[in-house]
Amino acid sequence: MAKGYRYFEAIEKHAGKLGILTAIMVSIGGLAEITPLFVEAHAITAVEGVKPYDPLRLAGKDIYVREGCYTCHTQMIRALRAETQRYGHYSISSESVYDRPHQWGSKRTGPDLARVGGKYSDEWQRLHLMDPRAVVKASNMPGYPWLAGEKIDAGDIVARMRALRRLGDPYTDEDLAGAPAALEGKTSLDALVAYLQGLGLPPEAQAAP
Amino acid sequence: MSTFWSLWVMFLVVLNGSITLFLFMWAQKVEIPVLEDGTTGHVWAHGVLRESVRRLPGWWTVASAAFFIWMCGYLLMFPGFGGFQGLRGWSSHQELALDVARNDANIADLQAQFASLTPAQLAANPEAQQIGERLFIDNCAACHQRDARGNPRLGAPNLVDADWIWGGDDASIATSILEGRQGVMPALGSIGAGKVTDVANYVLSLSGAPHDGARAAAGAAEFVVCSACHGANGEGNPMLGAPRLADSTWTWGKGDLAMIEKTVTDGAHGVMPAWKARLTESDTRAIIAWLRSQSQERLARL
Ligand code: HEC
Ligand code: HEC
Ligand code: HEC
Repeated sequence: MAKGYRYFEAIEKHAGKLGILTAIMVSIGGLAEITPLFVEAHAITAVEGVKPYDPLRLAGKDIYVREGCYTCHTQMIRALRAETQRYGHYSISSESVYDRPHQWGSKRTGPDLARVGGKYSDEWQRLHLMDPRAVVKASNMPGYPWLAGEKIDAGDIVARMRALRRLGDPYTDEDLAGAPAALEGKTSLDALVAYLQGLGLPPEAQAAP
Repeated sequence: MSTFWSLWVMFLVVLNGSITLFLFMWAQKVEIPVLEDGTTGHVWAHGVLRESVRRLPGWWTVASAAFFIWMCGYLLMFPGFGGFQGLRGWSSHQELALDVARNDANIADLQAQFASLTPAQLAANPEAQQIGERLFIDNCAACHQRDARGNPRLGAPNLVDADWIWGGDDASIATSILEGRQGVMPALGSIGAGKVTDVANYVLSLSGAPHDGARAAAGAAEFVVCSACHGANGEGNPMLGAPRLADSTWTWGKGDLAMIEKTVTDGAHGVMPAWKARLTESDTRAIIAWLRSQSQERLARL
């Protein structure tokens, strides 16, 4: 065994070899943790009754992503008593099937939003997004006043929905055809409020238009 | 997890473990040739850096071995080795259920004690107040503000005054909270801006606030429309959530002429969400108790 030293030397003295072997060892963890979840995620189906986002909520979700709300808010209630007591039932994977990408997040400057739908009124959500300090005096959430003046571009909603359909979301042809009309005259604020008010509702309520 | 992925994970765990273990055992035995100057002869950076030789310290070896054993123990007891659930049958959902049960048992006595008291009696109980305040801050403060004094921009009323729009007995307040409330004041701007000002002056006159006497007199006739909801003398109607106008407490502002004109012209529609999906009966009683204690304190100060 004493001769084994030359193998060490062979690896240690060659940065390329050392790098490749290190990468292999490190990636074993990833292969074990990520691949099965990644592949099995596609097998998860929606809870019965959950429909994909209607056009307005879909547009709202895009604004949620665009504005980076996920940098301060999670949408993932963990199975811990402190969380279920405050936010409600813990999140389950089948609730996120139509979220591409999911908005679980990992940073909570503000509270979790997974079940915020219906907690406040539409008017509260509007005021809060325009100027959080108008309703929560000590809030450090930024205001998003421009959303109210921004008309939603209905031009690409059909293309977006078609792309999602290709990925497996069950939109019908009628859903696609009616999408531009559903966004008629709506602002980004309307869409974002509709999205927030739909979060975490029980399946029946979420399916309602 | 399907059998395939389960085996896949097991294979990788064993592979990784074996390689690590092999390196660990083997490296203990390898002899490192040492030159006269105490280095291995490896040089980097054109001889500036030279590698000297040190055996791994003993504690390191022991710690590594301990971690290895710990890993095996962990995979045996807890989920992690593919689809194997571990001997303890641990799951996060079960852990949560246990935690909730433990907590429920902890507070069971307190809850039972609370259940036998009315909110007014609870208002004198410091523990109930703490629970009530915490629940209020989490759920209600966003609209009614932390001090429960309300927010005119949302039409969220002051909850610590003696004035209740939908009724101030325990049962009515509990209904307000659990079922939600939505008063609808229709927009009546169509009667014309002049008449709006008249009737607004009349409304001010009801509570004896400063107003234009002539316009108020002219507005009295218009008030017939309003009295259907607000009552003949503006005394309000808790069935409809139409507030009393003949007093000096206001939901939608400070009760000045401009605010009343605006309310009449544009209407008003406050939305109090229903909390029955989020709060239990006993949570609600704790909140009411806290509100009662706050208003008692406040009234005592006045
Ligand atoms: C800088 C961090 C930050 C960002 C970015 C942010 N928020 Fe917030 N948010 C907060 C904080 C802090 C609170 C708690 C105080 C409050 O209610 O304003 C909050 C509260 C909320 C609430 C109320 C939740 C509850 O249960 O009371 C909603 C809804 C919300 N945010 C939505 C959004 C949306 C939508 C966006 C993106 C447009 C966003 N936030 C961006 C920090 C942030
Ligand atoms: C989205 C904002 C909002 C939230 C959150 C909210 N409320 Fe309200 N609340 C209102 C509004 C608006 C009204 C007035 C409704 C109306 O008369 O039209 C109201 C009315 C009430 C009333 C009736 C008051 C009266 O004078 O009869 C009570 C009691 C009440 N809220 C308690 C609560 C409690 C307790 C919570 C928390 C569990 C809460 N509210 C959370 C907005 C809110
Ligand atoms: C259909 C019933 C109805 C009629 C008719 C009506 N109101 Fe109201 N009014 C309400 C309700 C309900 C509210 C409370 C709205 C809320 O807070 O959600 C209200 C609120 C108000 C307020 C605000 C009170 C406050 O505390 O901020 C004023 C002022 C008012 N009404 C004046 C009038 C006048 C003047 C008229 C007649 C021109 C009138 N209302 C007619 C139902 C009515």
